Amino acid sequence: MSIQVENLTVTYNGKVALHGANLNLKSGAIAGLVGMNGSGKSTLFKAIMGFVTPSSGRVLINDLPMRLAQKQGLVAYIPQAEEVDWNFPVSVADVVMMGRYGYMNFLRIPSKSDRQVVRDSLEKGQMWNFRDRQIGELSGGQKKRTFLARALAQQGKVMLLDEPFTGVDVKTEKAIIELLLELKAQGHTILISTHDLNSISTFCDQVVFINQTILAYGATQDIFTQENLARTFGEILPNIQTNRKQDRE
Amino acid sequence: MAVVEWFTAPLAYDFMVRAILISGFIGIVCAVLSCFMTLKGWALMGDAVSHSVTPGVVLANILGLPFAIGAFVFGVGSVLAIGFIKSHTRIKEDTVIGLVFTGFFALGLVLISKSPSNIDLKHILFGNVLGISTPDLIQTLIIGTFTLVMVSILKKDLLLFCFDPIHARSIGLNVEFLYYVLLTLLSLTIVVALQAVGIILVVAMLVTPGAIAYLLTDRFDHMIGYAVLSAVFSNIMGIYISFHFDASTGGCIVVLQTLLFLVAMIFAPKYGLLKRKF
Repeated sequence: MSIQVENLTVTYNGKVALHGANLNLKSGAIAGLVGMNGSGKSTLFKAIMGFVTPSSGRVLINDLPMRLAQKQGLVAYIPQAEEVDWNFPVSVADVVMMGRYGYMNFLRIPSKSDRQVVRDSLEKGQMWNFRDRQIGELSGGQKKRTFLARALAQQGKVMLLDEPFTGVDVKTEKAIIELLLELKAQGHTILISTHDLNSISTFCDQVVFINQTILAYGATQDIFTQENLARTFGEILPNIQTNRKQDRE
Repeated sequence: MAVVEWFTAPLAYDFMVRAILISGFIGIVCAVLSCFMTLKGWALMGDAVSHSVTPGVVLANILGLPFAIGAFVFGVGSVLAIGFIKSHTRIKEDTVIGLVFTGFFALGLVLISKSPSNIDLKHILFGNVLGISTPDLIQTLIIGTFTLVMVSILKKDLLLFCFDPIHARSIGLNVEFLYYVLLTLLSLTIVVALQAVGIILVVAMLVTPGAIAYLLTDRFDHMIGYAVLSAVFSNIMGIYISFHFDASTGGCIVVLQTLLFLVAMIFAPKYGLLKRKF
């Protein structure tokens, strides 16, 4: 399940948010999206989700145009915590069931297999015991795992995670990473935006550097370097574990 | 028994029986929609649409059409006008809403004052459920039933649209379609509610029951139940009170709803002020 971004330019009210971006992620990869605030990370996500209309270029998911990919439920999105109305009157199980709507008839009546998938997803996300909780009554990590479980229930082969480790304890971070590695092994393609540069080399096999355009992307061991970090952030970040020997010395 | 008589005596009048039944029905329709309005944060939109239908009601009256058609055309028209101005100018949405609905409303006032037939301004602005005519009654029943059927078919999609439009879109739902469906249902509900409380107070019917219910529960289905209970109760009791004290019907209904809201705000088991303070 590949993500292909071709010469993508997005403008908001005359301001260029993303310019001539190219990206090609193959099946079975975890890619870390690295960039400053305002570098176009969310714009790239929105474009891959089909939420902004690019002024030029296109996005293909598994060689399909965005709209078709969405109809097949291929792309799952895990929102940032602040994008969610946590006071909304829905339970954890309700949210995860929303991942299945694309598979149901127009009345959205869950079938036996929908219920089974929801149960499996809740168990995988370690949220089965909290399934009847209103979503506002969860801890930061539980909230993340709820939306991760929804993405599992959706069975989208492409997953976009926006800052999944913000406000999450170490235990949950580890659990999420383990789950992502498992999904990667099943051929999922996962794109994660994160501020936690130190964890990149521990689980991302690909890195994407973004600053108004995609500066570089590729295997972590090849391109997660001080030079690329400096190009992305405009300064040297001394404490980041990068992969080239000469950087460390 | 004085209490029993207080409830039974008005039933001797046909117009009271009709008013009580239709108000109860209007309460159900408004309450269901109000849950979505509260969760989506569309109170201002409801206020805008309700004021904007005024010229439609007057024109329908002049042309001899059912009032619902005129109201609906102008309700949807106001929404389209708001959308168009917002996306084609640099003006912010709340300014656009304020601008459009007062413009439509003012046009309605001008039309009423120049209308050749004897339209009663008071009935349009403040409702006239005690004097509801049979054609109006039938229109209200048809539109209300249609609205309830649509909501029950699309309930889960509309709820997902309110909660997480990004996800809705990512699983292939047509979010623009749902947006316009909800706006259309809003316009239809306003047409229904006009009968009970008039243009000025319609927004209360679209907000208060949902707000009361939102304080009482964390489950959407229960929320609809509480909203319906509170709306039906205040609509029917409002009519009784208005009958016995010879007071404005729409006013009594909305004052009762507001009192129920205050009670919920203070005493709600989980989200009430008492619970939060102590």
